[in-house]
Amino acid sequence: MSRATPFQTVRALAAGYGPRVFQVRGWVIAAIVLAPVALVLGVSGLASLQGHPLPPGAALTVFHTILAKVVLPILALIAAPAGIREDLEQRTLPLLLTRPAPAWAMPLGKGLPWFAWGAAWIIAATLGLQILGGDPGQRMGALVGAWWGELAFVALLGLTFKRGTLWAALWLFGWENLVAVFPPFLQRLTFTHYIESLAGSRGHSVSATELLAQAQVSTEPWLALIILILAGLAFWAACGWKLHATPVGLAGAESEG
Amino acid sequence: MIKLERASLRYGAVLGLSPTSFELPDGGGIVGLLGPNGAGKSTLLQLLSGLLPPSGGSVEIFGQTPFRNPEVLARIGLVPEGDRLPVGLKGRGWLRMMGRLSGLDGAPLETAMAQALETVGMSERADLPFQRMSKGMRQRMRLAQALLHAPELLILDEPFNGLDPEARLTLMGLLRRLADGGTRVIVSSHILSEVAQLTDRILLLFRGRLLAEGGISEIRQLLDRHPVELRLSGEARALARWAVEQPELVALELEESAAVLSIRNPRDFLPRLQSEAARGGLPITGLDPLDLNLEAVFQYLTKDHA
Repeated sequence: MSRATPFQTVRALAAGYGPRVFQVRGWVIAAIVLAPVALVLGVSGLASLQGHPLPPGAALTVFHTILAKVVLPILALIAAPAGIREDLEQRTLPLLLTRPAPAWAMPLGKGLPWFAWGAAWIIAATLGLQILGGDPGQRMGALVGAWWGELAFVALLGLTFKRGTLWAALWLFGWENLVAVFPPFLQRLTFTHYIESLAGSRGHSVSATELLAQAQVSTEPWLALIILILAGLAFWAACGWKLHATPVGLAGAESEG
Repeated sequence: MIKLERASLRYGAVLGLSPTSFELPDGGGIVGLLGPNGAGKSTLLQLLSGLLPPSGGSVEIFGQTPFRNPEVLARIGLVPEGDRLPVGLKGRGWLRMMGRLSGLDGAPLETAMAQALETVGMSERADLPFQRMSKGMRQRMRLAQALLHAPELLILDEPFNGLDPEARLTLMGLLRRLADGGTRVIVSSHILSEVAQLTDRILLLFRGRLLAEGGISEIRQLLDRHPVELRLSGEARALARWAVEQPELVALELEESAAVLSIRNPRDFLPRLQSEAARGGLPITGLDPLDLNLEAVFQYLTKDHA
C-alpha cells in the first residue's frame, strides 16, 4: 500500500493548486502590490519633469507606510483564505483528508503557491521602488520574510476561528499600530518591528505626530530575518497540528470538534 | 474488514449515531446503507472513512482505527455526498494531485489515472475545468479519485443523487463490476429501490441507530408487513366493493370520489389492481400512494421493533 510522505504531500498540493494563482485572486494580489509603486513612480516622474524631484527618503516612506503597513496585510488577508481554509469552506477538505497522506503537511502545501506568487510580485515592487533610491536587498528580505510570516499567521487564524480573517485584520491593522503606545518589549510581537529591523527604521523621517509613544527596541537584521522565517514555520506547523487534531466531517466547518 | 463495537458519535449535544455494532467480513460485495434523511448514514460513513473518530466505542477497519491513519486510508476510497470539487481546477490536474497524495508518482500514477478515468468513462473529458463539467461528469471524477489507488473498501455517500437515469444505471453497473472484482462497496441511499437494485446486503438506519441488518429478502419481508396507504380515485363505492374482497386490505375509508385503502404486501396487491384496471373492471381514474415512502416504512419498523 503506497502512502504519501510529508514532502510528497506538500509537493502534490503545491503543484495541484498552483494554477489557482493565475486566476482572479492572483491577479488582484499582483495589482495590489504593483499599483502603489507604479503610482509613486508616476508621481516621481512628473515631479522630476517639473524640476521638483521627490526627497531622497521618499522610497523609505513608501516602503514603510504603504507596502509594509497596508499592502502586505491586505495581501495576507486575500491570499490566506485561498489556502486550506478554502477547502474547509467549500467542503472539499474531506477529499484531501481521506488520502493516505499526513494531514499536518497540507496547510503548507496549499499555502506555498500563494507565498511564491506574492513573493514574486513583492520582489518586483521592491525593485521598482529602487528607482527612487535605497537598498533593495534589505527591503526585499524584510517584505518577503514578513509575507511568509503574515501569510502563515492569517492561515492559522483562519483555520482556528470561524472569523479568523477578521481577527487577523484586527491584529494586522490594529495591534501592529496600537502597540506603539504599549511597553517597548511588546513591539517584538509585531511584524512591523522585524520589518523595520531588517529594512531600517524610518525614525529619521517621521514627523512629530508620528513618533512612537515608547522608545523603539532594536533587533539585529539577521536575527529579525531568522525570527520571521521561524515564526512562519511555527504558524504553518500550528496549522498542520490543528488540521491533524481536528475532526473535520463532510459538513466541513460545521462538524469541527 | 469492518468491525464496529458500540461505536457512537455526538455532534456536541446532538447524537449523530447511537452505539452501533456490526461486522463485515473481508471480500467483495455491495452493502447498502439505507435510511431516510437524517438517519445517521453519513455519520456512519464518516466513521468508516476515518474522517471522524467515534465519541464512544470503537471502529476498526482492516484491524486498525481509521481516523488520520494513512495505513488504513491507503485501502479506502471515499466518494462523499454532494457536488463538491475544488473550484478553478481541471479534472486531470486534480486527479494527478489526488494520486500523488496517495503516494503514486511517475509511470504508476499515469497508469492509475488512465485506468480510473477509463473505468468511469472520463478519459476524453478529464481536461475540462470542473465548472464546465456536468453534474454527472463531476460525480464520475469524484469516483475516479476514489478508485485511483485501487482501494479494497469503496465508500459512496448518496452517489445517485442528482444523476439522470442513464448515469444511475452506468454507475450501478460500474459498482457491480468493482464488487465482482473483489472490492467491498458500501453505498448509502435513502431510496429503497436504488439499493434494492444494487445490493445483496442491507444495513437499515433510523434516527441514529441500526434498526436491521440482513439480506434484501429479509428486509423486504419486514417492509411487506408495513401497511401502505393508497388513495384510489374514481367511483368510490365500486372501488370499495372490489377492495374488500382483497386479502391484503387492512382498513378502508370512503371519500367523496375516492377510496383510501390501507394494505399489506403492496407487491402482491398492486399488480392485481393494475390488471383489474386494465381489464376495465375497475372505475379508477387515479392512484396516489399516501405513505409509500421510506420515512413511513421506518416509522413502522421502529414501532414494530419497540
